[in-house]
This record gives sequence, structure tokens and C-alpha cells, in this order.
Amino acid sequence: MQEKKSTDLSRRSFLKISAGAAALNCLSLPAEAATGTETQLSTIIDLNLCDGCTGRKIPACVDACRTINKNRIPPVVANIPEPWPRKTIEDWSKKKDVTDRLTPYNFIYVHKAEIDMAGGPKTIFVPRRCMHCDNPACATICPFSANSKKKNGAVVIDQNLCFGGAKCKDVCPWEIPQRQSGVGIYLKVLPGFMGNGVMYKCDLCNERLKEGNLPGCVEACPREALLIGRRSDMEKIAGERARAQNGYIYGKKENGGTSTLYISPVPFELLNKTMEKKPGQPAMQPDVVRRMAGTDPLGKAVLAAPLLGLAAAGFAYACNRFFRRREQVKKEEGND
Amino acid sequence: MTEKIITEKNLVVRHSKLELIEHWAIAVSGLVLLLTGIFELPVGKRYYIITIPGLEWSADFITSLYLHYSAAIVFTAAGIFHLFYHGWRGEKGLLPRKGDFAQSLAVIKSLFGWGEEPPMHKYLPEQRLAYVGMAFIMLMLILSGLLKTYKNIYAPDMSHTVLLFATWIHNIFFILFFLAFGAHMAAIVLRPNWPMVRGIFTGSVRLDYARHRHSLWLDEIEQNHAAGETVTGQSAIACGPDPVSADQPELGQESPPPSEGETENRKPEERKETAETQPGQ
Repeated sequence: MQEKKSTDLSRRSFLKISAGAAALNCLSLPAEAATGTETQLSTIIDLNLCDGCTGRKIPACVDACRTINKNRIPPVVANIPEPWPRKTIEDWSKKKDVTDRLTPYNFIYVHKAEIDMAGGPKTIFVPRRCMHCDNPACATICPFSANSKKKNGAVVIDQNLCFGGAKCKDVCPWEIPQRQSGVGIYLKVLPGFMGNGVMYKCDLCNERLKEGNLPGCVEACPREALLIGRRSDMEKIAGERARAQNGYIYGKKENGGTSTLYISPVPFELLNKTMEKKPGQPAMQPDVVRRMAGTDPLGKAVLAAPLLGLAAAGFAYACNRFFRRREQVKKEEGND
Repeated sequence: MTEKIITEKNLVVRHSKLELIEHWAIAVSGLVLLLTGIFELPVGKRYYIITIPGLEWSADFITSLYLHYSAAIVFTAAGIFHLFYHGWRGEKGLLPRKGDFAQSLAVIKSLFGWGEEPPMHKYLPEQRLAYVGMAFIMLMLILSGLLKTYKNIYAPDMSHTVLLFATWIHNIFFILFFLAFGAHMAAIVLRPNWPMVRGIFTGSVRLDYARHRHSLWLDEIEQNHAAGETVTGQSAIACGPDPVSADQPELGQESPPPSEGETENRKPEERKETAETQPGQ
């Protein structure tokens, strides 16, 4: 009973907030949410609204994503080259139907969390996909810049440039990108020694955004649990919804900030406890630190290094001139 | 540049202490950059480098980045210092001269027993050509590296076209830097170049070697001395014409005196007392 009340309240709050926001920002208009590729966008995933599409075989967001991306990966070569010396091959081409985790063929899945609350057990459904971080190490540290962040906030892997080294996965706190071996540019270079396929993940349907369409998951959600819009607007709505639900936000500060804002009626610490970190099934650890932030002071020193070198050269040269002049004066005095 | 002939010790001061510091700052930081640059590729795990004691961190890209940045500070600052300090001083000894390509060919042929080595200046013709090549490689690495660093901190959403350009410049010149470093090491392996190696550690080379191989350089020093250009006396002057100069005795390393044959074979005018000049380069 208490749960129902809470849900009703949240639903009313949602409608109220949405109506107010729509009046203020035209957020309810899909075209507004997808204004080109220059506007910085954010996504809201409201866990209070997501019901995991329990009546469907596959959640609507997952289904839509799979439909949009079904032809993304080119045919995998019959004999995937064995990498040397570590012989890891990741081939998902025969397991395309997997939908309960992230794979190269499945960019979003829905985690079901059973939470023991004070008022009784509560089921929360958590759609999981790339968070599209503000300063994503997966993109900035990619050795070939195959992974890049766009002006609209989408973090996109160009499968024509990716060698599948999985570095992006290693530096992602949620290990989101997934590798498919046997495809990509590495096959044309040194397949046995360099690269191992292509990394795949959600790209926020960047191509659809360019065409003025919504991301598939946002468009397909029957309960409007997913929203996309201008960053500032989404942050405002997320804050208002969280306050109205007496709930919590995840993604605003994690990993230095992301373009995905989860709103939950239960603390994310509790949600995280239901998520055993497994390959393709990221946890939701709170207070994720952006590790690369620690390197920023040194990076700033690198940017200042040319000036440092120039100043040192100027000082050494001035010193040199001064002593040379003093020596000359001494010599002239000696001659006199 | 304090270039000194110290006849009684059979030495010629070839590099100042400042030049030695520049060289080793660039060399050590360059090596660290090469290594950590390789570790910025996903090779640590794949090639089991993480199993090598002391290199367990090689698959941690953030740790490699800390080291890469640290070395980049030294590399960039030292490179810019070198460019401006020696540029302002008008030192051109390492810049290519007319005919360096042909002379380099002659030197390389002589290493394999074909023909005689031509008389040479302070630096070999191929050293001058390699210097310009290495300077260009360094410049491109520094410029593209600065852009990538700026992107990492301030502009993760930098134009992808610009980013791809910077990335591939950095990657291509990383390979060229690696090859250039290999060529530099290969030059050291060649026996005729061995006497020069001590110069980059101590600042001075054997006088008999210099007379034999760098006769044009010694001629310059002696001509300048004869012309009475800024003769300064025997000891190096601290922060004088060159703030720090390196000479062999200061570093406490002795070199063998010239052999009897070598001494006898010298021209009379080569048997001089200590001469010191600051000819500039």
C-alpha cells in the first residue's frame, strides 16, 4: 500500500514536472530534444518509472536498440585470426540473442534489483548502457582516436578506426565497451600481432540525433522513463524529480560527471549491492572517481613546459651575456 | 661554447656542461616517453609485459600517463630551451652545410673500407643531417602532444578531424623517433665513433682522435686562438661565456696520453701548449 502511494505520488510529480518543464522548455517535443549535434544533451533514466517491460519478452528499450543496430557489425570472418601471444578471442556473432548483459550486439540491458526496504521488498529495474561521460577516459586515451566525444555529449566509437585493443574497456569504471573479434581494420594490418577486433557500445544513436530523431531507447520507452534534452534542462528536471521522490541521482558527479542521470527512489548503494560485477554487467558503485583527473595537474605542467623552457633559455642567455660583458670589462681594465 | 684544447692531457673540450645536461635531459625523458608511449598501447597484458618484475604497472594506462606527462615536461622544456638558447647565441655547428649529403655518403663508405674519410668539422656531416631530422621529429611530437594534452584536460569534445590529425602525427612521429633513436644507438656501435661516446658523458674527447678525424674543427679552434679571439686563460670560467663548461679533469677522469707514434706523426704546429678560445659555433 505504501509502495503504491509512493508510486502514485511520483507519477503525479513526474507529470507535474514534465508539464512545467514542457511549458518552460518545450522538453516534451522530440524535435527539441534532438536539436542537431551541437547542443549538449543529457539523458534521464527515471528508475521510479521503469518497470522493466515485464509484460514483454525483451524490454522495449533493448528491443529498439537491437533493431536499430542489428546491421552495425559487418560479417565476422570465418577464421578469426588467433592473436599472439595471448590468444584471447571474443566472438559474440553466434550469441547475438543474449540480452541480459552488454555484448557487441547488445548495447543496453535491464538489471532487475530486489531491494529490501524498511517498508518491504521493492523491485527496481535499471537500464544499463554507456553513461556518456563528460570527460571520458575511454575516448581521450584511445591511441587511435577511434573513440571520441561529440559536442552533443555522445561518446562514439568509429568502427572503421578501432583496432579492438580494449583499452577503452580497461579505463572505463563500468567496463562498458565490448569487443567483437574478427571484424575491423586490424584484419588488414597485422591481425596476429596488433589489434583484436572492434569495440562496440551505445553511441546515443548519434546518427539518429543528427537526423533530428530521438535515440531508440528513449523513443521506445512506453513509460517515458527515459528522456533526453538540453543538459541544463535535464539537470533541472532530474533535481526536481529527485526532490519530489525524496530520491537519489547517479551520474551527475560520478567519473567527473556524465550525460546520463539516473533517478532512483532508493539509494544507489543498495542498488549496487544487487549488482555483482561480471563481464558485461557493470556495477553501480557510488562516488566513482575519474582517475585521469589525477593526471590533470601534470598535464597542465606539460602545457606550460614550452614557456618554462623559453624562460630558462632567456635567463641562461641573459646570464651568459652579463658574465661575458663583465669579463670583457675586466679585460679592458687589465689592459689599461 | 667553451672549446678548449688541453694538450698535456690530450683532450679537447667538446661539450659544455649545459649541453651535456640538455642532451641527457632530452635523452632520458625521450626514453621514458618512448617506453610509456608503448605502454599507452594495449600491449602490457597481451605481450605478458606485466609479468616482468618491475613492469607490473605496464598495463595501467593511467600510471603510464603520469610518467608520460612527467617526462614530457622535461622533454618539451629542454627542447624549447635548446632551440632558443643556442639560437639566440647564433650557434650553427649542428646545422647542415652544403655538401653534407655527399660527405655523409663518403663517411659511410669509408666505414666499410671504401675510400678515405674526408676531413671533418666538430660534427660529422651525417650528425648534422640527423640533428635536423631529430629536431623535426621532436617538434612534431611536442606540437601534437601538446594538442592531445590540451584535449585530455580541457577539450574532450575537440573536433574529431583535428584530433585524428594530432593523433596520427603523434603516432607516426613516435615510430620515426623510435627509428631515429635506434639509428643513434647504431652509430655508437660503429668503432670509429667510439671516441666520441666519452664526449657525451664527460664533455671532452681525445685530442689525438680529434686531430685525426675532426681536423677542420681543431683548425677553427687554433685559428681563433691565433687571431686572439677572447683568450680567457686556462681555467673555465663559471657562468662565463658559457655558464657551465665541462672538461675532463674536473670530472676526475684521465685519458691516456697520445701514443708515441701518434705524437711523432703530428705536424709541428699541432704540438702546442694549452689553447683556449670561445669560437662560438
